[in-house]
Order: sequence, then structure tokens, then C-alpha cells
Amino acid sequence: MKSAERRVMVQARDVVKFYGRFKALDQVSLTIHEGEKIVIIGPSGSGKSTLLRSINRLEEIDGGSMVVNGMDLYSPKTDLTRVREEVGMVFQAFNLFPHKTVLENITLAQTVVRRRSREEAREKALGLLSKVGLSDKANAYPGRLSGGQQQRVAIARSLAMDPKIMLFDEPTSALDPEMIGEVLDVMKELAREGMTMAVVTHEMGFAREVADRVVFMDHGAVVEEEVPEQFFTSPKHPRARQFLSQIL
Amino acid sequence: MTFKEPTKQKVDVGDGAAIPTKSDRGLFTAWRFAFVGAIGALAYLAWSKPDPYLEIIRFVPDGIAVTFKVTVGAILLALVFGLITGLGRISSNRFFNGLASLYVEVIRGIPLLVQIFYIYYALGRFVKIPDLFSAIIAMAVCYGAYMGEVFRAGIQSIPKGQMEAALSLGMTREQAMGHVILPQAFKVVLPPVGNEFIALLKDSSLVSILAVADLLRRGREYASESFTYFETYTVIALIYLIITLFFSKLIGIMEERINEER
Ligand SMILES: Nc1ncnc2c1ncn2[C@@H]1O[C@H](COP(=O)(O)OP(=O)(O)O)[C@@H](O)[C@H]1O
Ligand SMILES: [Mg+2]
Repeated sequence: MKSAERRVMVQARDVVKFYGRFKALDQVSLTIHEGEKIVIIGPSGSGKSTLLRSINRLEEIDGGSMVVNGMDLYSPKTDLTRVREEVGMVFQAFNLFPHKTVLENITLAQTVVRRRSREEAREKALGLLSKVGLSDKANAYPGRLSGGQQQRVAIARSLAMDPKIMLFDEPTSALDPEMIGEVLDVMKELAREGMTMAVVTHEMGFAREVADRVVFMDHGAVVEEEVPEQFFTSPKHPRARQFLSQIL
Repeated sequence: MTFKEPTKQKVDVGDGAAIPTKSDRGLFTAWRFAFVGAIGALAYLAWSKPDPYLEIIRFVPDGIAVTFKVTVGAILLALVFGLITGLGRISSNRFFNGLASLYVEVIRGIPLLVQIFYIYYALGRFVKIPDLFSAIIAMAVCYGAYMGEVFRAGIQSIPKGQMEAALSLGMTREQAMGHVILPQAFKVVLPPVGNEFIALLKDSSLVSILAVADLLRRGREYASESFTYFETYTVIALIYLIITLFFSKLIGIMEERINEER
């Protein structure tokens, strides 16, 4: 296996997460190597978002361990902000800052967190905007953009931090169908460039095309991990079979 | 030249394009009626019966200045207290949170007038500061608690995803507050803060029971010397009305401006 010699970006071991008495993650272990693209699928409520959000500690885990980019998220020595600036996250609801222009959305963390100069941040932002095809929107406010455009800005905003890994939590689920493609195209381009990615999505076409591995979750557990070819043609687990038959 | 059929005006329902933007026309006339009426009444009284009305009007402006000083000083200080309290109320730090909550509970449970007496005399016991400052601090302590709740509600009205997005970009909680949450919250709290300002302006008349010569106090002084109680309080009431109406309009315009931005 080629991945064995690559650097490990995310190492989740026996992760357990409770919401009250409800077990949202049940002994989840997952390894993501540098450059790898994994797609996480599973029924609603199966813990996909919780798992993704525990990778940058937006959710606190109650058991197991999480090591990201070589840093143990729960070691007292770890500076959480250092981890997070290396881990980009794209949300279903975009979460752009509505009081800031597109350009300011992309430069803010660069100047505040990365301490880049205004000029440098601006240049970087404009470069990324052209990459996501929104050069003409630099001075617009997010409220003026379509959902697809907002999500592309959100991706650019994350990329501006030069992340080592990008997490996507159903990035196209809030979009009108005609805008899904433009966002997926940006993500595919990122994948081609070698970005390490973990994507929660219901876009099976994307999974087939981009994923190195598909991770299937059910009831808070990873029940199957497989290359897409294998997973989509002959899923082993009965729950996976059932899930695929429902959505394909 | 071809005859062009006049294109029918398309009525777009939903985005408000065809709906007049000013929906508060009635309110506007009520405001104008009250404002112009109050000024007119004051002018008419001064003109028709200079003694005592013109005399009273000449006597009280010093008090208006003091009322403004108390109001502006107290609101600025109350904003600071309120912001700290609001942040405390949402803080995960037990001590800070408990302290802020205690402050709000205590202040809410005591009548404003009692608080003003209490803080004024308590301050006077320990420090020697001018009466005006004591009065300002007393008002600010009271209003800071209410302002704290305004800020808390304002901050909590910002969707959770905003904080999460900021954190996931590597910002600290403090940076996220300063750059992302508070700027949005300030816009949300502007109308209630405006209301607090008007309320404080009116409540500042309570400091007249202290040795602070605000508008009401000046009126009382004049009335008790001249025994023209009814005339004096008529003037005082009209002046308060004019000032309050003026500021509520100003605040309304400011809010509109801010909403029009972007
Ligand atoms: N903040 C929360 N409080 C309580 N329960 C939650 C919370 N967030 C998620 N859950 C529950 O945890 C389970 C997993 O949620 P989630 O990870 O969002 O699932 P998915 O993303 O796969 O749809 C769901 O049953 C959900 O109701
Ligand atoms: Mg989810």
C-alpha cells in the first residue's frame, strides 16, 4: 500500500462521544494520510458531522484519542488554535461573516491568525478568488451572493490559511441543484492538487470520482471502509447495502 | 417611429420592491404632531405669559446641561458595564459568570430610586468625588445591569456557526468575539440600546433628589421660590418631551442608516 509510507494527518483512535446519555460516536477509529481523500457517508444522525467536528475539536470527545497533524488534540501542551489554523473546515451553512466583504472574509484570519500583512493577505485572497471563479465579487457582501458563490468563498477563506487538510460537512446540501456542480468542481480541483480531504456528502458521483476511500457510518460507528469501486459495487455490510439501495 | 405599447408596471410581491418603504407614516405624523406641538406650546406660553413662563424658561437651561451630562456620562459608562456583564453572562468561567449574574439579579430586584440613594451615599462614604460623578456612577451601575442583558441577548442572537467558522480558522475565542461576533451583535443591540438611552434620559430626573442640579431640580428650585408649581412643571414636562422626542427620532434615523449600509 502506497499510503503506508505517507505522513498521517489524522489519527482517531476509539473515539467516543456522548450527547447526554446518547452515544453519538462509538469507538470510532480512522486514519487519514497526507494527500488522501476520504468520503464519509451514512444515514442522517449516524455521527458523520460529529466525527468531522471532533477532528478540529469543535466537539469535545469523551473517550479515545485524536491526533491531527502530529498534535494530540487533548494534550495540555497542544495549542488548539495552532491545530485549527492547519485544518480548514467548510460548513453546510457556509457561515461567511455577513458584516464583512468577500475580500475581508478571506483576509481576516490571515492577518489576525497568520499575522500576514494586509497586502500579502489581499494578494492571497484575490488569487484564491480567481481560483474559485469569483474575482468580480471581491467587494460584495456575502448576502448578495448565491449559495453556490457563498460556498466557494467559504472554501477560499479556508484555503487562505494554507491548511494541511480540508474538512467538508455536506458542503452542497444547502444548495439549489443547479449550484451543486460549481462547488463540486472547486472541490475536485482541490483534490487534483493533492489536498488532504475528508468530505461528508450525499453526492455519490463525487465519492466515486474523488475518494480514495469511502467510510460508511451507522449509529455512531464506522461499519465499512472501502475503496469506492468495491464499496459501490459490492458493499459488505448489510446496513451499507440497504443505505445504497435507498439513495442510488 | 413605431408605436411602443406602454409596458405594464410589473408588481413584484415578496421582495418589497413595489411596497412603499415607509410603513410608519402614521407614527411619523404622530411624532411630528407631538414634537411641533410641544415646541409650539412652549413658545406660545412664553409669548402670551412671559411672567412666569419666560422666567422659568430662562432659569432652567443650566439644568438641561446637567441632565445631558448625567445621561451621556451614565450611558457611556453603562455600555462598558453592560458589555462586561453581557460577556460575563455567556462566559464559561464560573466565577466571572456568577459575578455577572449576581450583579444583574441584585440590580433588577431593587427599585431604581433606592439604588441611586444607596450608591450615592455609599460612594460618598468611601471616596470624595463630585456629586455629579456619584450620580453618573449610580445611574450607570443600574443601567449597566439592564445593558448587560441587552448585550447578552445580542451576542446570543448571532448564529453559532459564526463562532465555529472563526474558531476553525484558528482564531482564539477572544479574536472571534472581537472581529466576528461583537461587530454583528452591536448592530443587533442598537435599537434596544437606543431605547435604554431614552429611558435613562428620563430616569436621570431621579438624580434631582441628590444634590445634583439637573433639569427637574432646577425646576423645583424655581417653583419653591416663586410658588408657581403648576407653571414650572408644565415647562419642565414640555422640555423633557421635546428632548426625548428629538433623541428618539435621531436614534431612529441612525438605525435606518445602519440598516441601509451594505
Ligand atoms: N449538540 C447536540 N446535542 C444533542 N444531540 C446531538 C447534538 N449534535 C448531534 N446530536 C445527535 O447526535 C447524533 C449524530 O449527529 P450528527 O453527527 O450530526 O449526525 P450526521 O451528521 O451523521 O447526520 C444525532 O442523533 C444527533 O441528533
Ligand atoms: Mg451532519
